[in-house]
Amino acid sequence: MFRQDKVAWGLVLPFLAIEFIFVAVPLGIGGWMSLHRVDFLVVKNFVGMQNYWDVINSPAVLNSLLLTAVFTFFALFFTFLSGFSLALFLERDGRLQVFGRAVVLVPFTISMLIGSMLLKWIFSREGGLMPLALQPLGMADTSILADPSNAMGALVFNAMWRDSAHAMILLMAGLKSVPLQLYDAARVDGAGPVRRFVRITLPMMRLPILITCVRLILHFANILTFPLILTGGGPNDATNIIGLQLYRTGFQDFRLGIGNAFALIVFVVNIALIMVVIRLFRAKEESQA
Amino acid sequence: MNYQGRILIRRGVDVVVTVVIAIICLFPILWGLSTSLKPTRDIMAYPPKLIPETISFDHYRTLWDQNILHYVMNSALVSVFTIVACLLIGSLAAYALARFRFKGKGFVMVVIVAVMSVPISSLLVPTFSFMANVQLLNTRLGLVLLYTAYELPMAVWLLSAFFQTIPVELERAAMIDGYSRLQTIRRVVLPLSRTGLVAAGLFVLTFTWNDFVVALVMTTNDSVRTLPIAIYNFLGYYGREWGPLTAGAMVSIIPLIVIFVLFQRYFLSGMTGGSVKG
Repeated sequence: MFRQDKVAWGLVLPFLAIEFIFVAVPLGIGGWMSLHRVDFLVVKNFVGMQNYWDVINSPAVLNSLLLTAVFTFFALFFTFLSGFSLALFLERDGRLQVFGRAVVLVPFTISMLIGSMLLKWIFSREGGLMPLALQPLGMADTSILADPSNAMGALVFNAMWRDSAHAMILLMAGLKSVPLQLYDAARVDGAGPVRRFVRITLPMMRLPILITCVRLILHFANILTFPLILTGGGPNDATNIIGLQLYRTGFQDFRLGIGNAFALIVFVVNIALIMVVIRLFRAKEESQA
Repeated sequence: MNYQGRILIRRGVDVVVTVVIAIICLFPILWGLSTSLKPTRDIMAYPPKLIPETISFDHYRTLWDQNILHYVMNSALVSVFTIVACLLIGSLAAYALARFRFKGKGFVMVVIVAVMSVPISSLLVPTFSFMANVQLLNTRLGLVLLYTAYELPMAVWLLSAFFQTIPVELERAAMIDGYSRLQTIRRVVLPLSRTGLVAAGLFVLTFTWNDFVVALVMTTNDSVRTLPIAIYNFLGYYGREWGPLTAGAMVSIIPLIVIFVLFQRYFLSGMTGGSVKG
């Protein structure tokens, strides 16, 4: 290839400049503000780590951290499972599969706001379809979104409904990279479909599975739109997950000093999460090697 | 059972499973469409009718009276400018990554991966403070710049994978004919990359057209608000009146579906990752 440092730098400079100004600088300002008392955008005196202590010692934050862990776990579990099943089922290039893929992509391509709103309408007690469907089970009077554990279930369903396609795309790209000869060889050796899946597909897919898990975890752990629209964080804060709590601290209470400290903690937790997931996969790989 | 019979059964199971998948995926949207076309009194009717008995465009008229066109225009403007910015800046950077070995290439890759994995929600509060300081809150330009920053890494990633599939010899020939590097990019590389550019553009479009969170935080002034924010405000304003709300949902969904049907081919090839071919 060509080797011309100056030309190359000229070409990537606009890109780097945009990322610097609109991602790195805000993070820097956020870090600075997090160390000060801030009254509605006016930065007052330096308070050191006080804002961080306030966030960590807040029961509301701890509650939402716990809820986030619960939501992320179940959302990841169900979305990954359904995404992987869809990828396996729709992988071939038949007419049926092309149709299936297009259909699964629809919830993913419409806005999270719209998707959550339409689900809210279906779950709604007045005129909604879900209560009607539950009537034969004698549960007609239960409003799904008014019961804490059902509301969390609805939130997980919302995640799965929209993001299965997300997982499917990433995993399908991985499936396509598994050499077909391996399957043929296994078949010749008499390995059944389950054995082929466990012994070939899963090991060959380690990296795509890792990427999918990391992306889904980051997405779910930081989600704001689903709870904001579907449940409003309720009932009784039962679905007030961390993204929503962060939004409220910053933009409903306008506590920007604390909000920035909170945001940076979330940021660091995210990085830690990525590292833990990657570690887990590495450890497993080494134990198998 | 004979072989053919088993194939037939298998095929039948495949069809049934696909239909179930389609119902789960599409039902909320079709139910929304149906609701948006019902007269108000039929919406709460018990038992609910899946297909409206009388079709009414009342709810769409309500939206029209709420000046919905203004918000659609805002969304369209912001989307178009973001797409142009992402493709322009993105293709330059992508070209450098695809064709040059230079000092700092690793750094650029780190920036791409880092920005792609930074969750926007943890950026919102600091970015709000920053945008307020540089007077970019409540401007369409501010939204365009933020969306560009958030979507550029993805665009660079996709385009650079695409550029790698274009033979270098074509560029060498053009440069021997006296084209400068930028002319070569403009006259040779970009025209050959139409598929990649469309795929990247569609990615950016789905983000900018659908974004709710960034626009919610960065705009408080009604004149610059985008469609999702308008619909969110309707949610507060109309409460449980699902007629206008579902009509708004359809106004947001339909343009995207039309565009996707038109460009479907490009999108699916872009979706399956960097291995796009022309």
